[in-house]
Amino acid sequence: MSLPLAIDCENISKHYPHFQLRDVNLSFEQGAVMGLVGPNGAGKSTILRIVMGLIAPDIGSTKVLGYSMPKEQLVAKRNIGFVAEDMRLYESETIAFHMDFIKSIFDSWDDQYANTLLHRFDLNKEQKVKGMSHGQRVKATLLLALARRPKLLVFDEPTTGLDPSVRKEVLDEMMNALQDETHSILFSSHNTLDVEQISDYITFIYGGRVIESRNKEDFMDGWRRLRLTNIHNKALPNLSNIKDVQESGRLCTVTVNNYDDSISEKFTNAGLQISHIERLTLEEIFLGNVMSAKATQNKEATL
Amino acid sequence: MSHSIIPLLMKKDFLMTQKMIFIFCVVTLACIVIISMLFGRIPNVVFFNLGITLLIAPAGTCGIVLLMKTIVLEKQKSTQLFIMSLPVTVKEFTLSKLLLNLPVFTAFWLVITGVAFYFAFGLGLFPYGTVPFITMIFLGILVAYIGILSAALIYQSYGITVIASLCFEMGTPAYLWIIAYLEPINRHVYDPHMVWNPTAIIIVATQFFVACTMLLITWHLQTQKRDFI
Repeated sequence: MSLPLAIDCENISKHYPHFQLRDVNLSFEQGAVMGLVGPNGAGKSTILRIVMGLIAPDIGSTKVLGYSMPKEQLVAKRNIGFVAEDMRLYESETIAFHMDFIKSIFDSWDDQYANTLLHRFDLNKEQKVKGMSHGQRVKATLLLALARRPKLLVFDEPTTGLDPSVRKEVLDEMMNALQDETHSILFSSHNTLDVEQISDYITFIYGGRVIESRNKEDFMDGWRRLRLTNIHNKALPNLSNIKDVQESGRLCTVTVNNYDDSISEKFTNAGLQISHIERLTLEEIFLGNVMSAKATQNKEATL
Repeated sequence: MSHSIIPLLMKKDFLMTQKMIFIFCVVTLACIVIISMLFGRIPNVVFFNLGITLLIAPAGTCGIVLLMKTIVLEKQKSTQLFIMSLPVTVKEFTLSKLLLNLPVFTAFWLVITGVAFYFAFGLGLFPYGTVPFITMIFLGILVAYIGILSAALIYQSYGITVIASLCFEMGTPAYLWIIAYLEPINRHVYDPHMVWNPTAIIIVATQFFVACTMLLITWHLQTQKRDFI
């Protein structure tokens, strides 16, 4: 029997006075990692909170590990570890207090793993939260989520504000958690490098909408930057794949999506000379997507 | 695990506030000792007013500090996100807060009410005709606390909880003054026997009704919340 999807969001929408999440579809199978990338205010946290059952969508359905949210959140949340950048532990209490509390709730709590993480993260469990640095707090929260051995980890900006060494520790531990191939991660980040490093699927969000969602290989393979020489000042072929054009005299740089060899042929047939074809980094792909989405939104607004 | 998470949430809140509760217990006991020492040494009316102030101050402060710490700060300091990421529903969260805060304050309330009744009637400070009115005073304190607790739970906001506290703290004495001047109540205050006439019964019943209604409304509003973060 096949496992239910880790996440299955269908057409979820949520209206706020100054923000609207619209028709979000998101799904991936268990054992995979999905990274949500988007600028501030794009709707990443809202999606993650809907997934956690903390917010009810106005329209649409959300299933997490096969459980309908928020209706079946009790059983679902027994299998989810959630860490958010704005989540806080009790300042006047120690890490040990929090560990005891979580242990009393979850049968699956793994004492040995918790102690390993304490050592690996260089945390003192008798230290009070108020005396800890931001990085230590994030690591403590991560420890509390991981040591209960959840099937799904949901992270909202887990690496924001961390120095590079702590960021690496956090990412390494996220990857370690995936050693069991049925374990999954859904996380959001501003940092495209983090997302590129560990995700199997990548979803770009802008203005409350999913603007693109694919597996990482498709993403990276689908985008190209073509450096062209336009000696005879020919018009560019009219292709929907063209996402950005930069022209400087006879030199022209075109960014295209859904690239295949036929696209370069079309440029050549149009009388343009291709001098170089480059792959894009995820950050460049993200920026290309956002600029394209922004232009579409502006066009819609003026109509 | 099939057992309810409510006792675990209550235990967590209790462990975090036990020192504070203990300190308020000590302060309340100290106030009772002071009251005992003052008994018979100052005029009865002055003694009763001073006594009530000394009893209500620590109990009321404990109740409000406890609900601020366990309910309002939970939201303000973003620890609620941590709690709600666990297998907890809004109903369980609300029940755990009610089942910790209400009994703790009620325990203080029972002690101060018992002490007040002991001094007022056990030691013959007032005639028994005052029993209905003193009952209304102490029930008024409980109703005011439940009102503040309800506001704290529904809004989890400093501002609204402080405003609710001010309204109830000013409104309760005002309402008690009105009751004190009601003829059917006023007429029997100095009677040697307690008189539970229809007016007194209706007032006490209304106080119970208001307290229960506020709790039910709070429960209803909490369970209707679609977004809890």
